[in-house]
Amino acid sequence: MILQDLAQPRQDYSYAFMDAYAKRELRRRILKAIAIPGYQVPYASRELPIARGWGTGGLQVTLSLVGPESVVKVIDQGADDSVNAANLRRFITRMSGAETTTDTLKATILQSRHRIPEEIMTEGQALVLQVPDPEPLRGVTADMSKASQLHADADYGQIWLLLYEQLVRYRQYIQGASYPSLVNGRYIISPSPIPRWDTPKLHQSAHLTLLSAGREKRLYAVPPYTAVYPLEFSDVPFQVEDQRGWVCKTTGIQNKFMNELPQEDGTAQYELSDSGYAEKLMNRGKTAPTYYDDEGNFYHAGYLRPPVLPTL
Amino acid sequence: MYVAARGGEEAIQHAELFYQALLGKLTPEAVQLVQRQLPFLLDKVMGEGSLYAPELAALALAQTGGDVYEAVLLLRAYRSTQPRIAYAEPVAADNVLTVRRISAAFKDIPGGQVLGPTLDYSHRLLRLDILDGVAEDDSPAAPAAETAAASTYPAVADWQRSQGLLPSIESDQMQAVDIPDVTTDAILFPAPRAHRLQALARADTGGVLALGYASMRGYGLIHPTVNELRLGYAEVEMKHPLSGESFSAGRVRVSQAEVITSGGQSGKAGYQLGFAATLGWNEVKLIAASTLDLEMNHHEPHPAHTEEFVMYHTEAVEASGFCIHFKLPHYVTFASSMDSVRKVIDTFYTGDKPASQELETMKQVQP
Amino acid sequence: MTPPPYTRAEAEARETFLALMWALSYPGRVYQLPAHKPNFELIAGSLLDLETSYFTVDAKLQPVLAQTSAQALPVDRAAYHFFPAIGEEHLAALGEACIGTRLYPDEAATLFIGCALGSGLPLTLRGPGINGAQALQVSGVPKPFWHMRQAVCRFPLGWDVYLVDGQQIVGLPRSVQVEFK
Repeated sequence: MILQDLAQPRQDYSYAFMDAYAKRELRRRILKAIAIPGYQVPYASRELPIARGWGTGGLQVTLSLVGPESVVKVIDQGADDSVNAANLRRFITRMSGAETTTDTLKATILQSRHRIPEEIMTEGQALVLQVPDPEPLRGVTADMSKASQLHADADYGQIWLLLYEQLVRYRQYIQGASYPSLVNGRYIISPSPIPRWDTPKLHQSAHLTLLSAGREKRLYAVPPYTAVYPLEFSDVPFQVEDQRGWVCKTTGIQNKFMNELPQEDGTAQYELSDSGYAEKLMNRGKTAPTYYDDEGNFYHAGYLRPPVLPTL
Repeated sequence: MYVAARGGEEAIQHAELFYQALLGKLTPEAVQLVQRQLPFLLDKVMGEGSLYAPELAALALAQTGGDVYEAVLLLRAYRSTQPRIAYAEPVAADNVLTVRRISAAFKDIPGGQVLGPTLDYSHRLLRLDILDGVAEDDSPAAPAAETAAASTYPAVADWQRSQGLLPSIESDQMQAVDIPDVTTDAILFPAPRAHRLQALARADTGGVLALGYASMRGYGLIHPTVNELRLGYAEVEMKHPLSGESFSAGRVRVSQAEVITSGGQSGKAGYQLGFAATLGWNEVKLIAASTLDLEMNHHEPHPAHTEEFVMYHTEAVEASGFCIHFKLPHYVTFASSMDSVRKVIDTFYTGDKPASQELETMKQVQP
Repeated sequence: MTPPPYTRAEAEARETFLALMWALSYPGRVYQLPAHKPNFELIAGSLLDLETSYFTVDAKLQPVLAQTSAQALPVDRAAYHFFPAIGEEHLAALGEACIGTRLYPDEAATLFIGCALGSGLPLTLRGPGINGAQALQVSGVPKPFWHMRQAVCRFPLGWDVYLVDGQQIVGLPRSVQVEFK
């Protein structure tokens, strides 16, 4: 026998790029993440031909799920045609032959950076969120080892203290995106830098959400039908972005998350952030029910409460 | 097949074409020229890419126009697709074909100081005459020695061990497959020493230098003395899968550094060694890295005393990738933060005037 | 560019994994493993390699699992446990299976247990992945096992269990409460 007999014929890349070992490892970790909602599972995180910090965590998850029959939607900031979304989509199809779509309801795998679509996702869909920083306690301690210990002990006093300090100083919570949320009553997660508008969509959702940070090598999950509550004191409710009165300049729709577009005369115009949804509205296509209805009511009645300014 | 969203896709294809238009034509000759003329750049890229493949490193550099971080990423991404078919035998310092080997701790050492190839004692003057075409590069070849130098040398640290200055070490009979591997394991802290040394071996040269230099300059706890620095060629010894016999699959350029500092382990008198080694020759990285190897054992007060800090922040591909990711659109997160800031302003301002003194404290915090 | 080939090995591993993933995401619902191979062999091929470990008392399954290069470890240290059939005699040992630690709950064992689904002890499941309550009937698993699981699963600690009946599979992550009479 010679060495060549032991070698395999040259094949430039495995199916879906990652080799069998890398995929198996990731798949084992994904199962753990689903079994322990909100717990950050450490993983090896292989290098991909996309820069680190550009969605490699989400991409590894997508590549370990994708197959020829998959239908993939990729968005960045809500938009399908963002250059970064286009690049990731191009790579996924190049390596898997999967079909792509801009329609949230048609996607079997939806990889997203910073948004959850407006239309209510359904059972059997996988939402893959790209995560730059998986650690909700980073503001409390920059040290991962210390943060892990706090999670182990469910010692979340310091993050509550941060929120309380915000109330004392500003009379409201000032956290923007990545609003810390409690999953299944046990682990606090960063829901990735989705706007607060999207955070409640994780609560008792019909779909599976996988969150993956490639650079930080952690992945975690929010399984379907799992309780997810943004942190709030009982007398000062959590608030989503106030976009009341903002009307989309192309579709005329309200009460969906908008991009604010500064105008030369000092005013602003607004457009739907969810480009797939906008596309459907423009083409008069069939849209599905949305998490917030046209009056701005959230689909879990009573989950979001009207704003209160504390008197401190 | 229906392909979603055309606009973005065309834009990125054109952007890549514009970039390529700035580079010279990519040809086998161009790649060979890079490989021949820039061995130290190749070594840096191979070390950080943790893949010894001079031809591929040259290709990566040519393909990226010499953008080192991009070249390292290309090698790493290629590396992660390659199956691991076997483990090489460990390389011992005194078996490496050594071409340069110096110790700052002693005037002379067993086997002798070997200066070898270095620019250390050269005048750093630009050869402008080459540009003018007036002079050819006519530096003479170094004269051959009358007697051939030894090809291998004993380790300086062995002498110190025999003197009781350094603790003796037991050889670890661990199987190669059981050695923790930072490229395939999840990183947890405290990290096994194997992870630390592997992370330093593939760390960003500039990052290791910045943290190592900060330590050396005064933020550190130790004064490093270079006990031994080596450049050489190591045989990649493997066992034949059937006959079990050892054979060499080739030679790779390797370098290693040891720094020594007084103060033995766990309070005992004596010395401690910091160690670093990498693929390719990269002296500045190894001196800084071996210093960090010692510093990382001490927690606080300087960040470079914490292994988590050092290992995370000197990771070339992660650091560069995250830094440039800030070019990506962040308008959704920014909108969310603007919403919070506006609410606070509305709470505390009436028109342009602050509604209360509380405002002054507000400016200090960004949501 | 044509995508790399979707090989049979890849298809088997992926489709098995997807069944495992959805079974764990929607506990109590029945999912199908691919048809063309024995169930435990598919599961082993999809999850095991030299980076992980297994435990089994089944002499016929042992060589199948060994072929994946995973390490055979004693019951208290193995990551994946395979019980093509489970009796009361196995429970004492099973009590030693790892439930993870507070720092690393992901180190807990995953159990694959052969059984018959659709008849036998009626179970009611509640918890993440379940919209309200989910009913399930299982036979071939001794009743004390369910008491044991109840005692062991203190979220985030506990075993993740898969019930396997031919190519049918049901997931019971540690996060789910199982009620029975």
